[in-house]
Amino acid sequence: MSSGPPIRRRPTGPVRPGQQPQVNVIGRSIRRFDGKGKVTGETPFGGDLAGPEAYTALVIRSPHPHCEIEDVELAAARAIPGVVAIFTGDDIGGTNRHGLIRRDQEVFSRRARFMGDCLGLIVAATPKIAQRALEAVKVSYKELPIVATMDDALAEGSYPLHETGNVLSTELIRRGDADSALAESDVVVNTETRTQCVDHAFLDREAGMAYMEDGVVTIYASGQWIHEERRLVALALGLPQERVRIIQPATGGAFGGREDISIQIYLGLAALKLDHPVRIEYTREESMIARHKRHPIRIEYTLGATREGVLTAAKVRILSDEGAYASTGPAVLRKAVSHCTGPYRVPNIHADGVAVFTNNNPTGAMRGFGACQLAIAYESAIVELSRVLKIDVVELKRINLLDDGEGVTTDQKIPVVGVRDCMEAALRRIGWDKRSYETPAPHLRRGYGVSTICFGVGYGDGFPDASRARVRMADDGVVEVFTGGVDFGQGLHSLAAQIAAKELGVDPLAVRVVASDTHRTPESGSSSATRQTVFTGNAVRLAASEVAGQLLDVAAAYTGLHWDDLELRGNAIAAKHDIAGHEDRTVVLPLRQAVRLGRERGYALDVESCFKPRTVAKQKGTGKSPRAFITYMFASHVAEVLVDIETGEVKVARIVAAHDVGKAINPQQVEGQIEGGVVQGLGMALMEEVVSEGGFMKNASFTDYIIPTIVDTPTIEALVIERDDPEGPYGARGVGEPGLIGTPPAILGAIADAIGTQVHETPANAERVWKAIKRSERAGDGASA
Amino acid sequence: MTDTLYYQPKSVDEALQIKAELGAEGTFLAGGTDVVVGIRKGKLKVARTIDLSQVPGLDGIRRHDGFLEIGAMTTHKALEQHDVPAALAQSCETVGGPQIRYLGTVGGQIGTASPAGDVSVALIALKADVELRSAARGTRRLPLDEVFVGPGKTVIADDEMVTRVFVPLGRRSDFYKIGKRDAVAISLVMAAASVGPAGDVAIAIGCVAPVPLRIKRAEALLDARGLSDEAVDEAATIAREDCSPISDHRGGADYRRAMAGTLTKRLLSRLREVTPVKAKPAESSAEVA
Ligand SMILES: Cc1cc2nc3c(=O)[nH]c(=O)nc-3n(C[C@H](O)[C@H](O)[C@H](O)COP(=O)(O)OP(=O)(O)OC[C@H]3O[C@@H](n4cnc5c(N)ncnc54)[C@H](O)[C@@H]3O)c2cc1C
Repeated sequence: MSSGPPIRRRPTGPVRPGQQPQVNVIGRSIRRFDGKGKVTGETPFGGDLAGPEAYTALVIRSPHPHCEIEDVELAAARAIPGVVAIFTGDDIGGTNRHGLIRRDQEVFSRRARFMGDCLGLIVAATPKIAQRALEAVKVSYKELPIVATMDDALAEGSYPLHETGNVLSTELIRRGDADSALAESDVVVNTETRTQCVDHAFLDREAGMAYMEDGVVTIYASGQWIHEERRLVALALGLPQERVRIIQPATGGAFGGREDISIQIYLGLAALKLDHPVRIEYTREESMIARHKRHPIRIEYTLGATREGVLTAAKVRILSDEGAYASTGPAVLRKAVSHCTGPYRVPNIHADGVAVFTNNNPTGAMRGFGACQLAIAYESAIVELSRVLKIDVVELKRINLLDDGEGVTTDQKIPVVGVRDCMEAALRRIGWDKRSYETPAPHLRRGYGVSTICFGVGYGDGFPDASRARVRMADDGVVEVFTGGVDFGQGLHSLAAQIAAKELGVDPLAVRVVASDTHRTPESGSSSATRQTVFTGNAVRLAASEVAGQLLDVAAAYTGLHWDDLELRGNAIAAKHDIAGHEDRTVVLPLRQAVRLGRERGYALDVESCFKPRTVAKQKGTGKSPRAFITYMFASHVAEVLVDIETGEVKVARIVAAHDVGKAINPQQVEGQIEGGVVQGLGMALMEEVVSEGGFMKNASFTDYIIPTIVDTPTIEALVIERDDPEGPYGARGVGEPGLIGTPPAILGAIADAIGTQVHETPANAERVWKAIKRSERAGDGASA
Repeated sequence: MTDTLYYQPKSVDEALQIKAELGAEGTFLAGGTDVVVGIRKGKLKVARTIDLSQVPGLDGIRRHDGFLEIGAMTTHKALEQHDVPAALAQSCETVGGPQIRYLGTVGGQIGTASPAGDVSVALIALKADVELRSAARGTRRLPLDEVFVGPGKTVIADDEMVTRVFVPLGRRSDFYKIGKRDAVAISLVMAAASVGPAGDVAIAIGCVAPVPLRIKRAEALLDARGLSDEAVDEAATIAREDCSPISDHRGGADYRRAMAGTLTKRLLSRLREVTPVKAKPAESSAEVA
């Protein structure tokens, strides 16, 4: 084992405005330009935009999780003074449908498949009147049988939720011969893992406004891919895309929860029909009832190994609760199946996945989608194997983790596999070899868990995934970056400025970013799948370096020097090295002057570039792909917990999270993403759970849906490992999701270490941990009080 | 009846006068952490509000005659910062978050009559009394556990209010709460216990019955036999037997019942020691590792 690549040291400090522009902008914690407004509260969010003249729209939702709507009686509501209009399916011009992969959800439903389905839209002068009108609406409906669980959905004669039945999609992986390999294995372990339904719980509820401007429906609402949202709004309303404009206001979190359409079509319809500004703001309850969730997944895992601990084969069955509509379900299932053996070398794989419809909330994108549930499953199987083989879990990992150039589940060969570097760095930081099991009281047990995970970046699988960006020199010498990519808090726009600044030799804080407006910015794809640093980052870099090239041409022509002897530095074009007549790397042309000269000579200094790497669709019959994703992220977390073995309570004391991000373009942002992912992962591991009974959600509020507070947050140490990615900008690989993915398996592993038995169902709340302890006491092993 | 919807009395007598006139129509507003949430959620219909925030003399903590006298308008924060019995301090520290503790009051906690009332459970286990007062009948004083009759239901009459709580001094006590997280969490199960100077024991458990439950059968047993290992085990068994928990989205009845026993045993064992230890597991062991 090498001593590993360098762990980046904390930068000496952020660059402040007015300070000399840095030659090396990449790798510095540039201050976020949106930070101050958000901290001081000056920045308006979606709910702050509408003026007092705007009407309020309110959604009429289904009274039952599964029903045929017979009649929506609106007369009484319409008669209330101040009620402007009530829209139903009859009023919508287009397809009345939406959905990211299948257009299977009606904007106005005639048959409701979950409690969030919309039956109509009330528009009133004020929120109070809208609420009164909602109470005056009478819905008569015929109840249909409720398909509450995955078992219900698959049962003989179950009631079909869609014309195609209750199976949304299936996926598989076939590599080698898993059955024979398992038969020949020295040991085989079986685990069954159940993950829960999780809500995104972002702070900024769905809220926005719309109005008509020159015949264009102008919608301010937060999504994750404004150009796709424009397509969906245009289709649903029957408008040409040019007549729909989507602008993203400042956004307080998304985590995948804004990938599906939320309020955009409602806002667009009301503004279009009434030619008047309209606002919508969901309550927290409504936000939780209407929004898609994380897929609950059940995973049966069979893992074989030799006596020495070398993995031989994995057989994996995956069953995913899709809820009422497809959403991004097929992609999530593919992600789950294609990541089912994580960062391990498993020569024989036989995996099957099925996604089924139920009357629960639709499930779709959420940070780590599919990969995070499977990480819980394969890490649980590894822990089980370590127990049976009596080989320390870290040793077992050292034997089986992938090395550079080896293939992941889909047999895609990964050139740079940083997972060992991450694990060793995390182990060193926690002091693995000297770890202590001391506790302050006999009923407390200490435990340590290690996770090693991987994550394919981008949409992949042959999807035409692309980011475009435009970089332009304004006449005043300011660099402008145009991107349609949305920033919901992760810092994409600062990152784009940083990259343009690097290429054009200016201060990143002086870059003007024009973003997230379908009428002004090019399509940069979705802010999801950990893709924007690589995709939009590359697009910005390409465009900016082309503009830089044009500027060098201008300066070369002006000075008579060769362009290759010049560089962009400190708001100017300067000599790269000592050239005759230009000793001391002198400035030859200030940037502003170069722009003026360039314009005179007919240079546009305005370039749009596209980054659209090729990925390869899965092979039929095997699910393999030589390039399912453009790159993979690797990470390793170590968790230390204290478990109260009498009550089952778990306290996470410390988490070390090591991530190979390729290159940390902005280290502070990278650390922020990892820390946030850890806290969200802790919530998934220990407390968060959407509880539904027969399609009715029982905890649609922050009183009852429990997410971690600062008091529950352990010491988090983010270790940034940098092994260059061949494709990423400056070697960067992306960081958004793995911080979450690595956390639950590390915590669950630590609990198992503490109590001597595993909890196979998340969240591992006090009750489940206590039950696991009781079960193992009865079985005669594990912890005893 | 008047058209007034909101009253702001300036004295206890005035407040009681208004309450007597309004009867069930009038709702006292203390910190509002239950009332306002209830109104917002549509769970609580408030016809007329009697705001107690401007009534002098309803808050404050003083020692008198072997008791700690706590005014009904005393906040959880004030109690947490005052030298009060351990179980009471600990229960106050676990109520909601700082914002809630600065607003929420003891009177409101009792008025809400929640089986998950952390402070109510601690006060019952401390053998606290409540003083109720009405314009017509003056004051009466009764043990707190006799005030609660069901979730949200008390013996407080329509013209009465809580004015003070009396906590006997000199009892050693302890409290333990299991929630879904370490702050702003409604209890899943919680319990408190105390031992008096004469060795008499009191135990109360929350979230395992329609009211904060005092385990009198176990108390009697312990009073007779002391805190021996066997007696404590038996008390824990009684606690499990005497509770009637439900299952809801927070947790199962089985778990709650088991914890009624576990916490009873834990608290009693700790009270046997001279100094009660802090209830929660120690924080990060980063140093240890
Ligand atoms: C976010 C949040 C977290 C919470 N967490 C906890 C927790 O962890 N543990 C816990 O126990 N509680 C918790 N609560 C509930 C609440 O804070 C407590 O019950 C608090 O003690 C209520 O006091 P208050 O002054 O706000 O009562 P109010 O809301 O003002 O009143 C509550 C009830 O008592 C009546 N009342 C008030 N004063 C009197 C009086 N003097 N005489 C007669 N009746 C009176 C009112 O009319 C009303 O019916 C939480 C609440 C919130 C919103």
